[in-house]
Amino acid sequence: MSDIKTVWQTQTTEETDMISLAEIRSRATRLKNWVLWRNLALYVYSIANIAVTAWLISTGQHKAYMRYEAPGLLLVAAHLFVIWQLWWRTSLRALPGDLMGRAALDYLRHQLERQRDALSSAWLWYIAPFMPGLIWEVWMRANLHPADIPPGYDHALVLYLVMAALFFWTSVGLAFSWAAARLDVRLEQLNTLKAE
Amino acid sequence: MGTVPQDELYMRATAEFGPALARLARAYEADASQRLDLLQDIHFALWRSFSSFAGQCSLRTWVYRVAHNVGISRRRKRSDLINLEELAEMSAEDSPEETVHASRALSRLQDLIRRLRPPDDQVMLLYLEDTDAASIGDITGLSARAVATRIHRIKQLLSLHFRQGESP
Repeated sequence: MSDIKTVWQTQTTEETDMISLAEIRSRATRLKNWVLWRNLALYVYSIANIAVTAWLISTGQHKAYMRYEAPGLLLVAAHLFVIWQLWWRTSLRALPGDLMGRAALDYLRHQLERQRDALSSAWLWYIAPFMPGLIWEVWMRANLHPADIPPGYDHALVLYLVMAALFFWTSVGLAFSWAAARLDVRLEQLNTLKAE
Repeated sequence: MGTVPQDELYMRATAEFGPALARLARAYEADASQRLDLLQDIHFALWRSFSSFAGQCSLRTWVYRVAHNVGISRRRKRSDLINLEELAEMSAEDSPEETVHASRALSRLQDLIRRLRPPDDQVMLLYLEDTDAASIGDITGLSARAVATRIHRIKQLLSLHFRQGESP
């Protein structure tokens, strides 16, 4: 006689039951390297932005069309702030050590809350830091009126810059808000489960 | 805790629960390479977790918590999973499988688990591993009443799908 629990517990599995410690350690090294390369890519991206801005300021390039110094420095500061925020938010050290050993509902709640908080405050740490520099830059460009650009074309160019910036940053903000709202629904479902 | 106790705990855990972890991976992943990947993820998470294990709960509870949390991380973005009640309604017309045909019964059982959303899939897996209701509560975070309700539904679902068969 066989019941379904016996069928389940006596099934044969082709996978090895134990993975060697050498394999585990090599996986730990791979994870460490992946985190290192991911962070490095973020730093390279931001450093490239900073370098271009520094070059524009130091050489006076495009000075005829844009006075880049002050807004450029603000954008550099924004990049540095976002680098620090990304490092702090994605750091493995930010996770509690015993997280994986928590009960499943608590684990899931922690993960969802962490993501929800990062997303719902993204306007503050990912969008707002770029705004002063960006607005200043666009405002300066709008008031520059270069002599070699026809006024009609110049207005259209400024309008395009403003619309493109508005569209891009509003889309980013809305995408973050939508994702945070979805996570709120999941958290509400978890609360219902916990209250059962 | 140094690296030696971490390694020792891992060796102990896998010696004792390795087969159960392999069964969990088989339940969640039909594809062989995905299954092996999940199993490796579980073992890796388990080894890492032992650096912060200080006897907060039994070794068995810890191992299952870690394994199920890795499983949740993989499955939580899937939107096609359903709960026990919905599964029972959907499968009401299926004819029961004789448990004596172990491979067919096992295949249907794995299919049922793969369609369930957390924490129903976890309760089903733990029930099949003969884990008592209190431990299921400790592992999943569900209340005793919620666990009891789910076990009742699981028994009903299993009786719909499986008929205990006599060995030939």
